[in-house]
Amino acid sequence: MNLEKVVFGFFVLLAATLNFGFFLGDISRPELHSVYELFAAVVVNLIATVLKFGDRTQIGAVHLATSLVADLQLIAAAVTWTVAANIAGDGLTATETAAVVSLSGGALLANVVSVILLLVETVTYHRNQ
Amino acid sequence: MSTLDPRSPRPPAGSGAAHAAGRHRRDERSVAAIFLVMRRMRVPLMALIAVFAISVLGLTLVPGEDPEGRAHRLSFFDAFYFMSYTATTIGYGELPHPFTDAQRLWVILSIYLTVIAWAYAIGALLTLLQDRAFRQALSMQHFQRKVQRIGEPFVIIAGYGQTGELLARSLDALGRRMVVLDTSPDRIDALDQAPLRGDVPGLVADARSPHSLRLAGLESAHCEGVLALTDDDQANLTACMAVGLLRPDLPVVARTVSGAVMTRMQAFGSPTVVNPFDRFGEHLLLALRAPSSFQLMTWLEAGPGADLPDIGRRPPAGRWVVCGYGRFGRALVADLRDGGFEVTVVEMADAGLEAARADGVDLVEGDGSDPDVLESARLDEAVGLVAGTSDDATNLSMIATARQVSSRLFLIGRQNDPAYAPLFQAVQPDSLLVPTELVAHEAYAHLSTPMLWRFLQQMPGKGDIWAADLVAELVERCGERLPALWRLHLTPPEAPALQRWLADGGIRLGDLLRHPESRERELEALVLLVRRRDETFLKPGPDLVLEPGDLLLFAGRPEASSALQTTLVVDATAEYVLTGQRRPVGWLWRRLDRRPDDEHAREVAEHR
Repeated sequence: MNLEKVVFGFFVLLAATLNFGFFLGDISRPELHSVYELFAAVVVNLIATVLKFGDRTQIGAVHLATSLVADLQLIAAAVTWTVAANIAGDGLTATETAAVVSLSGGALLANVVSVILLLVETVTYHRNQ
Repeated sequence: MSTLDPRSPRPPAGSGAAHAAGRHRRDERSVAAIFLVMRRMRVPLMALIAVFAISVLGLTLVPGEDPEGRAHRLSFFDAFYFMSYTATTIGYGELPHPFTDAQRLWVILSIYLTVIAWAYAIGALLTLLQDRAFRQALSMQHFQRKVQRIGEPFVIIAGYGQTGELLARSLDALGRRMVVLDTSPDRIDALDQAPLRGDVPGLVADARSPHSLRLAGLESAHCEGVLALTDDDQANLTACMAVGLLRPDLPVVARTVSGAVMTRMQAFGSPTVVNPFDRFGEHLLLALRAPSSFQLMTWLEAGPGADLPDIGRRPPAGRWVVCGYGRFGRALVADLRDGGFEVTVVEMADAGLEAARADGVDLVEGDGSDPDVLESARLDEAVGLVAGTSDDATNLSMIATARQVSSRLFLIGRQNDPAYAPLFQAVQPDSLLVPTELVAHEAYAHLSTPMLWRFLQQMPGKGDIWAADLVAELVERCGERLPALWRLHLTPPEAPALQRWLADGGIRLGDLLRHPESRERELEALVLLVRRRDETFLKPGPDLVLEPGDLLLFAGRPEASSALQTTLVVDATAEYVLTGQRRPVGWLWRRLDRRPDDEHAREVAEHR
């Protein structure tokens, strides 16, 4: 067993699960989507991205790309949330919540691809043994 | 990596595969620096993200209150804003409301954590910037980018010693581009201070590795030659092999002082191998037999702007004393004896003595700088002395001693170390061998234009008087500084305006060399050589009729070159220069001129 692989797998999976947790629930109801979960998803996604730095294999490059996409979507969601809650003045409306959650949904897709890549890597690793 | 990847398609066979693999390796190298940064910064960046996340999250959870005493918690936005300016030690104060003690407690903890994380990340980045491997990766990347950006033909110079430096200067004066490889970082640093006009990328690398040559652009379509000029015969040989196998179409000029290495070099393609010791003997014989031919040769080889060298004095026939029977002495004695001169060798090293005995030359054992030894070699009866040991101090003292014996002696010195150059200049030998210069000049003659080399090969056959006349004519037309040399191929792309006249019975050389402003004046240029298929005309007269496809080698002032360019490209100028007829250039005036083209051409043909 390799500790590095455990940490890597842990963060990739955690990024996807947190993202999924935030995404879950009616898309336009702000009370179903915790901002803390969004925050956790952003942070864990960033860490997962940094973990993927410096891998020069083909699969490593795709891994990094999916993470960057997820980061981009989640940060966009966080910025949208900030604008809606702090700057626009009328709190989170249904439209704005829908925008935030759908952005995180896009990130979820990228995270799912990331998890699939992880599985593919694991499966081929075993087959080569 | 994809070459190792079983899923990637197989590269095509043959040379294409080598190219594809090479290209791939290059890409991999060029991204190395950024990957290095990413990999090294992994841990510091993760620490930074983690510390930030904890601090921000904590700040949003700790209860606070607004000025009216109502409970108020910081939003993520406010918390992130506060942590950003606090962690970077900017510090705007407690926003949006003054903090409660509970918040301050958490902030104290966060400050220490984030400052440490920042310091760690910045420290790691700075360490990385000073890292040797990283700097090498960066400079390699920089070098490669520069090489790839050269959009014109360039040569690769492997070995930037004395020879490389001289040659780089001459080629730079011709406006040629170069890429330099040398194993010594000092030499590559010297490149930055060299007075060169073009930007010359340099890399600290061993020419022995084909990979270095590849980095230097060996596989580039713009690479037009490789010069292996290191002082290491093996390195030159390996470079020759690499070019001969990877780019057999490229000309190679390699330097060696060993006959065995020379033979091995010639096994790979057809490199031009310059052995300074061999060549000096040939030069010396030419200088002794035909001083003017020798003068012309050294002048043309010295590169543009060189002053006309002095015509050497010609020693009487007689016996020569050669001190030192190493590789140089041996080659020179063989040449002298072939040339019908009697030779006495002075040598004291065992290896040299053995070789001299084996070759059956007249031998005196002892130190050449010792007057008694020179006396026993009967120097006073000889016509000349060659101070040809590998030690500069010995050579200098031999020249000084010989001068005391007789002032009539023809003295030849060999200078090994460039540091001794001023001393050798001061003792003024009649002829001086500087191996580095000789190699540089020969390589220049090969590379500047292959026609110059052909000219120099055939020129001695024309005799000394012919050479003296040519030198006089060059000096009369272009002055005592070597004019620019350039070549011209009479093909449609290079001489579009002449094609009609070439197809129509040819052009007299004398007509081509008239000035486009007033045809009575002649251009300040000479044609040294005309090459037509297998025929070669050395310094042809004005009556030679040029044909399509002829190759011409010109020597002349740069103004003459640009004037000639007008003749080659502008139809009306060509017509005026060749026939004396002024023809309108514009379409309207041509219409008004009324003469149809073919009628006009017939008229011109009759005129001639």
